[in-house]
Amino acid sequence: MRKPLALVAVAAAVALTATACGSKPVATSGSGSSSSAATGSSSAASGTAYKACMVTDTGGLDDHSFNAESWAGMQAAAKADPNISVQNATSATENDYASNIAGFVSASCKMIVTVGFAMNDATVASAKKNTTQDYAIVDNTSTGSQIKGLEFNTAQGAFLGGYFAAAMTKTGKVATFGGANYPTVTVYMDGFWEGVQYYNQKHGTKVQVLGWDETKPKSGTFDPTQSFTDQAGGKQIAATFQAQGADIIFPVAGGTGIGALAQAKASGGKLNAIWVDDDGALSNASYASVIMTSVTKGIASAVTAAVTDAAKGNFSSTPYIGTLANDGTGLAPYHDFQSKVPATLTSELATVKQDIVSGTIKITSKNQPTAG
Amino acid sequence: MTTASTLTGKSTEDAPVVRTDRSKLIGGIAQAVIGLYGLWAFGLGSRTSHNAHTLFNLKLDPASSGPSPISAPAEPVAIALASIAIVCGLVRAFAPISAKVQRWLAVGYFASFVLAFLVWAAAGSGIGLNVPSIIQQTSIAAVPLILGSLSALLCERSGVVNIAVEGQFLFGAFAAVITASMTHSVWAGLVAGCLGGALMCALLAVFANRYLIEQVVLGVVLNLLASGVTGFLYDRLMSTDGATYNSPPSFNSIAIPGLSKIPVIGEALFNQNILFYAAYLLVPLVWFLLFRTRWGLRTRAVGEHPTAADTVGIKVVGLRYRNVITAGLLSGLGGVWLTLGLASQFGKDMSDGKGYIAIAALIVGRWSPIGSLGAAVLFGFATELNLALSSLGTPIPTAFLSMAPYLVTIFVVAALGGLARPPAASGKPYLKG
Repeated sequence: MRKPLALVAVAAAVALTATACGSKPVATSGSGSSSSAATGSSSAASGTAYKACMVTDTGGLDDHSFNAESWAGMQAAAKADPNISVQNATSATENDYASNIAGFVSASCKMIVTVGFAMNDATVASAKKNTTQDYAIVDNTSTGSQIKGLEFNTAQGAFLGGYFAAAMTKTGKVATFGGANYPTVTVYMDGFWEGVQYYNQKHGTKVQVLGWDETKPKSGTFDPTQSFTDQAGGKQIAATFQAQGADIIFPVAGGTGIGALAQAKASGGKLNAIWVDDDGALSNASYASVIMTSVTKGIASAVTAAVTDAAKGNFSSTPYIGTLANDGTGLAPYHDFQSKVPATLTSELATVKQDIVSGTIKITSKNQPTAG
Repeated sequence: MTTASTLTGKSTEDAPVVRTDRSKLIGGIAQAVIGLYGLWAFGLGSRTSHNAHTLFNLKLDPASSGPSPISAPAEPVAIALASIAIVCGLVRAFAPISAKVQRWLAVGYFASFVLAFLVWAAAGSGIGLNVPSIIQQTSIAAVPLILGSLSALLCERSGVVNIAVEGQFLFGAFAAVITASMTHSVWAGLVAGCLGGALMCALLAVFANRYLIEQVVLGVVLNLLASGVTGFLYDRLMSTDGATYNSPPSFNSIAIPGLSKIPVIGEALFNQNILFYAAYLLVPLVWFLLFRTRWGLRTRAVGEHPTAADTVGIKVVGLRYRNVITAGLLSGLGGVWLTLGLASQFGKDMSDGKGYIAIAALIVGRWSPIGSLGAAVLFGFATELNLALSSLGTPIPTAFLSMAPYLVTIFVVAALGGLARPPAASGKPYLKG
């Protein structure tokens, strides 16, 4: 029986290496900052090399979503300030969060950026052990004096998306669904729903939202397996909505949402989509023909600002909240739909945006991040 | 063929279920009680009262021309359907009927109960239920489950446990997408995807037969291997250069002349791509091969009693190798369906547990191709129902609806009351002497 066991070990080892390949901390030099530190010139005394390190969640660095955005923000910070050097580590499973963070603490990173609210526990635990270490966490509020939360009130951007959808629908039915019932997901759905209601109120229309009703948060449409990778499920949801009469769909479900794009493309113009998080016409270029616009979340610029501020010695644990006012969320360009969107709608959207910023329009979603 | 036909009998295909009167009585009464609950909840509840109607749409595209929607008065229809369910339960409990009639009764019970539930759930909604869409999406959701359970069936019937269907889906999907993207040919992708699944199964066969590894553990390891390898390659190739490696062509729908014009079900079932038709045609094919041919007899012998099979000159291990690798072609086809047939892109871990549900379908279907088909359709239906109802504002929480497929599994196993008996030698490696 020795031989079979050895073979299992080999198979397991292959599996582990394959998953682990991406997870070794990859040092990336940030615009020659290390060399400037090495020369040790006296001029660098005021701004010594500042190492910022990022731990991804299980989606990995190339997830075309918040990990990739966060890393882009880190790189932009390194570019903006030559004293900053950046590094990242990929978490293959949730069990890697703590060890990746601990690795960066011992590698004397000045700031550690963790990506995703799922990493909050690991971040707080590390902060308690290392009381002089600074942290920033994406998609979560500040949870301690050393941790800066980077949050996004995407309900504001999604409000514009909902208003846009209500104006563009021809069937009077628009739809949204989530990957799973998380606050960072439903905040989008809330905003979308409110935007449609606001349009109805303004224009005396009766556009219906399928899949979500802010006042009934226990019902609503989510992926059957609560997954963000289930393209087949996303396509099935979109087809079901289409059969129920919807002609615009707003998937808040990452990779599952790509299935909805596939359904839209297959529908031959009967169904179009509004993408989420980033500009879908760029990130999912093969589906640009069905993406009317996108509700964006400015993760990259938030991470850049947090890192560059901290490098200047201005770290604070006051949470950053991305809003329409600071371009932390918003509506992406129309791209392929540019010619189909009436100019009056664009100007109405500008007014709505101003009213949200000024507080004339109050968004009631309970999932909105609050300062403090 | 003579030995084949004399031995084919019913013994292994479908062991006659010996039912005691007691289980018939208790089962029937339990059904009647649940039916009574349905009558109270669906028929007499407030949701169906006040002359509420339930809308059934009969066109896939609500904007197109065709039969107009049926509007059924919710209260009387729900009461009638729930009453039928109660009667079915009582007949099962107290009337002297054969096992065959009992099975049909169970189907009738289940259908009327579910319909009563639907009438209640969609009552008063202006959107209503789109019947062709539910049929279409149910049949689509069942496809990977059918292919996966047929693959696991072939393996288990030959005595090898294959819980690595998930990994075969993933590997097949990845191989299909990368090949189709680079060659711009769906057919090349189809071949590559099937071979990818077969490769994963070849690993299973070697480790299980040659190195005698515990097959359940092995299956889990293979699933992890597939997830890791495809995830890693996705990061390195598809994520960085999606245009070259992750933009495959996909299979076009083929409308079957005549059949696709049937109202309600025509467009839903007979305007699909070739993989869809293949999956459904494979069910009777596998049934025929398994129960009506010499190969099928030998396969079942190897899965039930390998020593006896060996004694009469069947090469047990050789046949297991062949069958397991052939099964890989089927689960690989499942991966091709998920990508070139459906989503037209590869994504990390996109099989998303469907391989495991396929194995559940095999067990609920009691290791028979037809039973697995039934279970796969049932799971597909429960999933689709969850989605179709979630937008109608039913009082049931979404989380509860998501449980539906698994509740249905338990319900069906109880209602059909079958003896879930796997092939006797399944999971046991064969050692001569």
